[in-house]
Amino acid sequence: MTEAAQETKTTSEDWEPKIVAFCCNWCSYAGADLAGTSRIQYPPNARIIRVNCTGRIDPEFILAALDMGADGVLVSGCHPGDCHYTSGNLKMRARWALIKRAVEQAGIDPRRIRLQWASASEAQIFADGVTLLTEQVRKLGPLRGQWR
Amino acid sequence: MVDTNNDALKSILVVGGGVAGMQAALDAANQGYRVYLVEKNPSIGGRMAALDKTFPTLDCSACILTPRLSEVARHPNIELLTYSEVEHVQGTLGDMRVRVRRKARFVDETKCSGCGDCARECPVEVPNEFDEGLGFRKAIYVMFPQSTPNVYTIDSSACIRCKRCVRVCERGAIDLDMQDSTVELHVGVIILSTGYRLFDVRKYPRYGYGRYPNVITAMEFERLINAAGPTNGHLIRLTDGAVPKRIAFIQCVGARDVKKGVPNCSRVCCMYGVKNAVMAREHDPDAEVSVYYADIRAFGKGFEEFYEMARSRFGVNFVKGRVGEIIEDPETQNLRFEVEDTLSGRILNVEHDLVVLCPGLQPADDLHRLAEMLGLRTSEDGYVEIRDALTAPLETDHPGVLVCGCADGPKDIPDSVTAGSAAAMRATILLSSGGAK
Amino acid sequence: MTESEEPRIGVFVCHCGHNIAGTVDVERVAKVAATFPHVVFSTDEMFMCSDSGQQLIRDKIKEHGLNRVVVASCSPRMHEPTFRRVVEEGGLNRYLYEQVNLREHVSWCHMHEPEAATEKAIDLVRMSVARAARLESIPVKTVQVTPRALVVGGGIAGLRAALDIADRGFEVVLVEKRPQLGGHVIHWTHMFPADRSGREVVSPMIDEVMDHDLITVYTDSKVTALDGYIGNFDITIKSNKTGEEHKVKVGAVIVATGFEPFKPIGYYAYEDSPDIMTLAELQEMPPSDELLRPSDGKPAKKLAFIGCVGSREPGVKGHEHCSRYCCSAVAKAASDLKDRVDEVVVLYQDVRTYGRGHEEIHRLAREKRVIFSKYNPDERPEVWVKRGKITMRWRDVLADDLLEFKPDILVLASAMVPPEDVEEIAKIFSLTRSSDGFFNPEHIKLAPLTTHTAGIMIAGVAQAAKNASETVVDASGAAAKAAALLARGEVEIESTVASVNPDVCSSCHTCITACPYGAMSIDESHDPPVAHVTEAKCHGCGTCAAGCPSGAITMLHSTDDQILSMVEALLMPAQMSGGEAR
Repeated sequence: MTEAAQETKTTSEDWEPKIVAFCCNWCSYAGADLAGTSRIQYPPNARIIRVNCTGRIDPEFILAALDMGADGVLVSGCHPGDCHYTSGNLKMRARWALIKRAVEQAGIDPRRIRLQWASASEAQIFADGVTLLTEQVRKLGPLRGQWR
Repeated sequence: MVDTNNDALKSILVVGGGVAGMQAALDAANQGYRVYLVEKNPSIGGRMAALDKTFPTLDCSACILTPRLSEVARHPNIELLTYSEVEHVQGTLGDMRVRVRRKARFVDETKCSGCGDCARECPVEVPNEFDEGLGFRKAIYVMFPQSTPNVYTIDSSACIRCKRCVRVCERGAIDLDMQDSTVELHVGVIILSTGYRLFDVRKYPRYGYGRYPNVITAMEFERLINAAGPTNGHLIRLTDGAVPKRIAFIQCVGARDVKKGVPNCSRVCCMYGVKNAVMAREHDPDAEVSVYYADIRAFGKGFEEFYEMARSRFGVNFVKGRVGEIIEDPETQNLRFEVEDTLSGRILNVEHDLVVLCPGLQPADDLHRLAEMLGLRTSEDGYVEIRDALTAPLETDHPGVLVCGCADGPKDIPDSVTAGSAAAMRATILLSSGGAK
Repeated sequence: MTESEEPRIGVFVCHCGHNIAGTVDVERVAKVAATFPHVVFSTDEMFMCSDSGQQLIRDKIKEHGLNRVVVASCSPRMHEPTFRRVVEEGGLNRYLYEQVNLREHVSWCHMHEPEAATEKAIDLVRMSVARAARLESIPVKTVQVTPRALVVGGGIAGLRAALDIADRGFEVVLVEKRPQLGGHVIHWTHMFPADRSGREVVSPMIDEVMDHDLITVYTDSKVTALDGYIGNFDITIKSNKTGEEHKVKVGAVIVATGFEPFKPIGYYAYEDSPDIMTLAELQEMPPSDELLRPSDGKPAKKLAFIGCVGSREPGVKGHEHCSRYCCSAVAKAASDLKDRVDEVVVLYQDVRTYGRGHEEIHRLAREKRVIFSKYNPDERPEVWVKRGKITMRWRDVLADDLLEFKPDILVLASAMVPPEDVEEIAKIFSLTRSSDGFFNPEHIKLAPLTTHTAGIMIAGVAQAAKNASETVVDASGAAAKAAALLARGEVEIESTVASVNPDVCSSCHTCITACPYGAMSIDESHDPPVAHVTEAKCHGCGTCAAGCPSGAITMLHSTDDQILSMVEALLMPAQMSGGEAR
């Protein structure tokens, strides 16, 4: 079943998108910290899981999250060239095309997953990324029941 | 002759908590020496904390600096004395008595958790010097979000003693009756890393700074493009809030000018100018950005490559030539000036809606006083004279006093950090050989 | 903790004044947390980081036999070190601690949605409790440091570094590939900004090095192999002449391998006349009262310099960089030699006399009527030699005139480029190189002397083109890094490292290409050969674990199980198992 067909019957009143956000410790997690310190307000839908580096993120984690019922997955890391571990984020970037294809092949709209770069000072960019994905996923509706 | 059982032989005083001083402190402390790091501001971090991005990698300045701040704060061998000043020094290598005045910050450092309740409650707003006066802070404040120690300070000249902060502080950390205090330190070596101040661009009246609000300094530009700055990183004109579309950077304002008492090159302005020009293009790819320069001195690692990238990839326009008098259009508050493009020989008549002056560096205000107190020779432009550029590049006329960072001349961040490490090495050698060498 | 021990988790929810409690219903969070699997104690407290909060943790560990602690407070980037210390004081391994970020990630960014914020807080605590149940203690590893340093390169940088470390009281092994110490500097008959010959500067240093009890010198020798890791490197030094090998153990390494002056073959008729020479060759000319022309030994009357020869050439690999020392060196040489000849012309792109005192040298040269003329890099000067006579023609950019000059001697300020064996050195010491061909520092801004290989420092021109005075400061700085390592005597190595399960490894080498630090290798002694982690080199990024197609690599403290347990706790709370007791 396509997502477009689903869209009409999804938006029930009490449903809120559930988003899993994998953030690297050195840039994006710190960027999220700064968003808090700066009191930047953004939707409370994302739950951050801290990893040392986006290079640590096995494509399996993203697929598992969607499988277990996440409506969207955010991966946020250091800008290319800024990786605390030299090049882990480049590995993530290289994997991303593969992850996207796997998600599509599973019949999931790839707009449910998002890869972004947000440095430790880019609180607004981090918050904007969460907002954007949340709103995008909200439009797509809940994933549960659309898959499998 | 030095007493080898002396505690001072295990202790080093570092004056100035910028990147050079922090590095000197860390590299000495990591060798097992006790380090007192005295900083006149409420937080360590120095000038780098206020910068937005750094050349030539465009790294975010605060992001790379913050771990260094906490490393210093956590180090068991480093004692931070912030908001403090060296008042008096007596003695020589291996045996120096130092009196440090700890200014009252009216907040108990051991109790404050940095929650900021007090600042939210404080009714007094004053221009924030950390934002070059472009934004505001409260009378009780931290300098910047990652201030280290993360402790609030009351600016007594602004405080109206309404005690609202006292009432709201859940930890009872605020003490409005706090007095300045002094501590006596016994150290073997003193490392000066007092940093720099920026040249006062008002000394060039023809550029109109202070009269024309759309003529700003590079440091003001840094704060304007900084996400944690007064405009949350929006580059706007101060007159009308408009996004500037034609931006000029003018180099060598208070550098390489014998008449203004700044005969030397300041070493960093070319590159921070190029970096800011790149950032201006990054903020608004439609903006026309021009740099007016005498020579582009892109001499450090990766600098020439960065300059080339600014020209070719970012499309920054470089014009070799001295800028004449700047005239403000009273209606648009745009700025016009003539400049001879010395490469083409043509006189250009240009108009910009924002002009950024790139000032050179001068020794920090404190350096003169410290140098006099310690009997150090200074050059005509105010920097400490080193003993020999090749054989004693960190040593001064005082056998127990070393210099690093910008205390002996302008330096960029990597050169300052390197000099900080080197000063730590020289200091520990002096002390490990009992002051004999 | 023993392997079969059942997790007993304590949860401490911090109010942080009203910073958290003002938005999040912390009492409810603590109450709900008490119902999560393995949680045996849960409470809320005003300030967890305060002395009383810390004491509460230590007391409850004892009282309830807690073997895992979760604190829900501020960002772990702020207080994780604090609470790790607290649990250690309470008798637990530091890796059995887990922090939830309720302040920066919840209360402060959802200030107007207290209910949603509380729900999010409960989710985050549940996720961390699930992870905590799967945490394992990891021994904190320290290794001894061999109190001896290796300095590679006997130029002014290597000499300074060796002397500093030895004067500080540690043994140094100094290896120089040429038969003599002193590098390039010893050959220079004049230097700037000091009015001394290179020999005057370097000879006393060489004497000191040779006489120093703590310094062992190997000249005409090369380092051919480096094994081991920070604190424990095994070095092989081979004599160029005899082929004899020495093995040395050192704790730290300083690479000060310097540069080579670029031979400007194909530039400005360099090969067509002995009177066209590089700046280095001019600096090495024997001192005499008059400047003598090499071709016929007659005094030169007209002298010319061309700047940026092999430097600042965009698009030409290895020559894009500015060589930094030449502008000031040319200004000094031009100013000095103007006293002995009639005319001096300097062709330049930009005058980069940036250092202290260098601007004065440049001004002095101009006062002495040295002619500085700017050329356009897109229209380089032409030089030709006819019957032994040099002619140069160029367009002066500022006057827009085509000019001609017939110098007796033409000096080319040629670039500093890496020595020919730079590739070999990079390989031995696992160093990476930047576009200028020199070695990359750990961080270009804040860590210019250390490298990505722990325990290996770089100093002087090995890092980038620079002048001699900057080089000696580098050398002392790098020496400080080495001295700190040697003085401490031991070094804590990253405990949260990757670990390989040899039974599952398929020896596919994916991890070896994934690792940015060269920490993964193939253990050939294992049958069949499998991947092996050199723990001292591992920084713990986990890229290898994510890439391993066989699931053979476990990233300690960030295991697949620990990460997925958080996902599961969030999305399928009903099935939350709390982890298998291992």
